[in-house]
Amino acid sequence: MICEHCKQRNATVTVTQVQNSQKVEHHYCDVCASQFHPFHAEFKQEPVSIQQLLSNWFGSPTWQQKVGEKQQAPTQQQTCPHCGFTYKRFLKEGKFGCPGCYDSFAEHLPKLFNRIQAGPQHIGKMPGAHSNVYVIKKQIEDIRKRMKDAVDEEQFEEAAKLRDEAKELESQLQFEGGDVS
Amino acid sequence: MIEPFLERATPVWMQVEDDYSDIVISTRIRLARNLDGYRFPLVFSEDEALQVEQAVTHAIQDSPKLHERYSYFAIKDLTPLQRQILVEKHLISPQLAKKELVGSMLLSEDESISIMVNEEDHLRIQCMTASFQLQKAYEQANKIDRALEGVLPYAFRDNFGYLTSCPTNIGTGLRASVMMHLPVLTLTGQMNQIINAMTRLGMTVRGIYGEGSENLGNVYQVSNQITLGKTEDDILADIQSVAEKIIQKERHARGKLMDKAELALEDRIYRALGTLTHARILTSEEAATCLSNVRLGVDLQLIDGIKAATLNECIVCMQPGFLQHYAGEALPPSERDRVRAKMLREALFQENLSKPTIGGKGEDSYDV
Repeated sequence: MICEHCKQRNATVTVTQVQNSQKVEHHYCDVCASQFHPFHAEFKQEPVSIQQLLSNWFGSPTWQQKVGEKQQAPTQQQTCPHCGFTYKRFLKEGKFGCPGCYDSFAEHLPKLFNRIQAGPQHIGKMPGAHSNVYVIKKQIEDIRKRMKDAVDEEQFEEAAKLRDEAKELESQLQFEGGDVS
Repeated sequence: MIEPFLERATPVWMQVEDDYSDIVISTRIRLARNLDGYRFPLVFSEDEALQVEQAVTHAIQDSPKLHERYSYFAIKDLTPLQRQILVEKHLISPQLAKKELVGSMLLSEDESISIMVNEEDHLRIQCMTASFQLQKAYEQANKIDRALEGVLPYAFRDNFGYLTSCPTNIGTGLRASVMMHLPVLTLTGQMNQIINAMTRLGMTVRGIYGEGSENLGNVYQVSNQITLGKTEDDILADIQSVAEKIIQKERHARGKLMDKAELALEDRIYRALGTLTHARILTSEEAATCLSNVRLGVDLQLIDGIKAATLNECIVCMQPGFLQHYAGEALPPSERDRVRAKMLREALFQENLSKPTIGGKGEDSYDV
């Protein structure tokens, strides 16, 4: 296949774009592709590119934007009580206003992180205090699972032992300042 | 006192040479952190900025766990030229340098650690090493992070990790960058392919002389784009393996080029050296290209008597801020090309390169 752009070199790169939920495929050669590449946009206008990405993915589709302000998607008008940032403003700026925004808009974020990150869940390092709580929570979950297995197998003595272990950890968790739920 | 930090083009830690020094120039780790209860610098008030700055400065300077001494500088107290030099040395970001009211930096004595306060995030811990030492740089950054987490109320959530102003830094807040000199991959046109492949792996490639400079001087910075959903170890391991592959490719390409066209390559390298040691006007593009060629010559042992460290220094020094500092005055762009040529001539002649006839290092003393 020949590159769509220069119509000279062999097409080696396939660019798939989704525009208005229509999938469009383009075939370019190395040289042309590198010019259309999102990277190139990033060199020159980094702040814009992330905003554009965000509004393209999560803003209202163009056919909705004609509708009056009042009928705008309710998610966009959602406001962070800590800093007054609206979700719409986040889409526009590509940045959050305060740490609280992550709580205020929590429900929309996993979808976003699935696209721009490796996943929606942090699995890396934690501050020391957090990691204690986290480790204990994991242990409790594990014990509860084993407790259920023990009950299923009618090993009640074992289950009771596990229950005591879980209780012990829960009180430790309260001491560390985590909530038991 | 900011002056000592402006005098040296490259700090002492850059002088280290190891097995990777022929290709990797430096390694950088950055951790982005924020404090709960304060708005991000994008929208915070001056009052909040001040509180954040005091908390962070206090935490760093008075920490019993941090043994390095940190000098504190408020950006607003620095002249535009001083700021530009700090940017050219990669000690602060261009974004921090633009701050009018808030924003400050804490710099370790040896310049390997710089902590930016109230840039895009409340806190950015940046650690640099010479050559290819991701683990060492990360351990350094991690040590500072661990010391600060006990004192500062870090914004952290179980689900999203460390919270940052921009969702591209969320999670680990970790950006690892390896700066590499890849002249032969560029020459043989393999870089585009590599750049394409790296995007698919969630990595970015940029030039070093600032945004938009792309591959000026054939120096590229490879860094991770993904910060959430991967552990720090995995992010570092991925960058490590990608960088190693690129190093291998560059070495392989260098070997092949030497086999096939040693004379042509040697010619190209010595022409570049000739230009650097004799030209009277040098644009930054031409200087960067020549420095890249000479560096390749040094790495391939085609040129004797010039140290890679000197060339690293020249790469930093030839930028506009440093040139004006060197000249001791503000220079219009046309003048810069003249001063750049003079500075490079002096720097490379000092290397004791040409044995006969050249005595002084004055501007025209060898111009017989």
